[in-house]
Amino acid sequence: METAGRAQAARDRVPRVDPYGFERPEDFDYAAYEEFFSAYLVILTRRAIKWSKLLKGGGGVQKSVTVKRYIRKGVPLEHRARVWMGVSGAQAQMDRNPGYYRRLLRGERDGSLEEAIRTDVNRTFPDNVSFRKGAEPCLQGTLYNVLLAYGHHDRGVGYCQGMNFIAGYLILITKNEEEAFWLLDALVGRILPDYYSPSMLGLRTDQEVLAELVRTKLPAVAALMDGHGVLWTLVVSRWFICLFVDVLPVETVLRVWDCLFSEGSKIIFRVALTLIKQHQAFILEATSVPDICERFKEITRGGFVTECHTFMQKIFSEPGSLSMASISRLRERCRAKLLAQG
Amino acid sequence: MEAIWLYQFRLIVIGDSTVGKSCLIRRFTEGRFAQVSDPTVGVDFFSRLVEIEPGKRIKLQIWDTAGQERFRSITRAYYRNSVGGLLLFDITNRRSFQNVHEWLEETKVHVQPYQIVFVLVGHKCDLDTQRQVTRHEAEKLAAAYGMKYIETSARDAINVEKAFTDLTRDIYELVKRGDITIQEGWEGVKSGFVPNVVHSSEEVVKSERRCLC
Repeated sequence: METAGRAQAARDRVPRVDPYGFERPEDFDYAAYEEFFSAYLVILTRRAIKWSKLLKGGGGVQKSVTVKRYIRKGVPLEHRARVWMGVSGAQAQMDRNPGYYRRLLRGERDGSLEEAIRTDVNRTFPDNVSFRKGAEPCLQGTLYNVLLAYGHHDRGVGYCQGMNFIAGYLILITKNEEEAFWLLDALVGRILPDYYSPSMLGLRTDQEVLAELVRTKLPAVAALMDGHGVLWTLVVSRWFICLFVDVLPVETVLRVWDCLFSEGSKIIFRVALTLIKQHQAFILEATSVPDICERFKEITRGGFVTECHTFMQKIFSEPGSLSMASISRLRERCRAKLLAQG
Repeated sequence: MEAIWLYQFRLIVIGDSTVGKSCLIRRFTEGRFAQVSDPTVGVDFFSRLVEIEPGKRIKLQIWDTAGQERFRSITRAYYRNSVGGLLLFDITNRRSFQNVHEWLEETKVHVQPYQIVFVLVGHKCDLDTQRQVTRHEAEKLAAAYGMKYIETSARDAINVEKAFTDLTRDIYELVKRGDITIQEGWEGVKSGFVPNVVHSSEEVVKSERRCLC
């Protein structure tokens, strides 16, 4: 009874819509969230004070050892856009190319690109109040512009499903179309190696790299996957393509992205390996293919991923060492294998 | 506790982006329909049991795939281990119908040396006023490729059960006749638990428990 009362009280106190405009799901655990958030608020406040000092005087954010350390501990929402813009190089690109974004939107338009984007804009984040038709302001138009501009800017990539979710998050954080565009450029054009081009070779390579890393670090899980003939693409495609959007809780995704912009694509492996390692015993109980799929969905929910601060500490300790040199070597090997398969 | 089934069939659902693949599968496996549904990125997985004759149940593993062309580099790995497929087009979108041929070619290349039993599905038949493909021409195309044709609506739950069940029945007949055989290293068809054996072993457990009381 007492638990039910507490749950109801938490339900009354915690808003139904999160700070980013997402409606909380029906089965949202308000009591657990409130408990986590009251502790996290203390951390957020402490970090906010430190960040304000660091960023005093305005100007851009440059990469440094201090900034990297700060970012791992979380960027406060009010500074997030500025920090992402700074450390990813997006700000520098934007400064170097004044008016470029507007010109992309004014230029000649590619009809099939427009159609592909329009279809997906209508079905991006139906659970977000700002992305609904009739919302004031409605972010569907903003999302359309950012994706269209990107498709014209990077014709080799054009538009790939999944980019709508990423651009959507960038818009929610920056609240600025042009900045969202340049951050998308930083991610798709520089940070992620060839994930969204028509061959999706970089994406397929990285899924193979994850498989190899699991084989080395968590051989029992690799054996389970092999035993049931489960391809890694079945369970982790969304993790890579959407960079954990709609996979992990919003706040956790943003904390992951803080590090992604600052440290690059290997963060994705850290997150994936941590999720798998933490739940290794649970995954190994799976007895069939559907069971494996269900468990890989299950491990992206619950307290472990909601408590984003602890989760972020774990991603830097749990998977062990993960040098960029070894990732590059694995990428080369896996890419060659995929190319040989044709 | 897993339900008892005779065979397990692996089905794949393909077709252009936005023809309604995920909605059709969700209607079939979860019985619900969402007005707005996120695009599928990569591959997703669903399952359901169907009863094709009284007491004869088949377990369906259903692979949902992204429709955008570039995702084929990922989804094509799933053709090989599928015994059946639903090839969807949207009856209000002529281009999705014109692409049916291309989808069949694409699967043919990647399913070797196996074969997929396809049914052609004209989806969104609740939107009859916006129809761009007649039933007659769809039936003709299906016949040319040796497929059955069915029109469905996930929104109004029209023919959704029938589309999956008919395909399952057809595959079952082919398995029974020996035209499709269970093979080592192929996941398309798997043999399930034999009901009698499971039943008797359960009985044993139950009676032992009774003795303990």
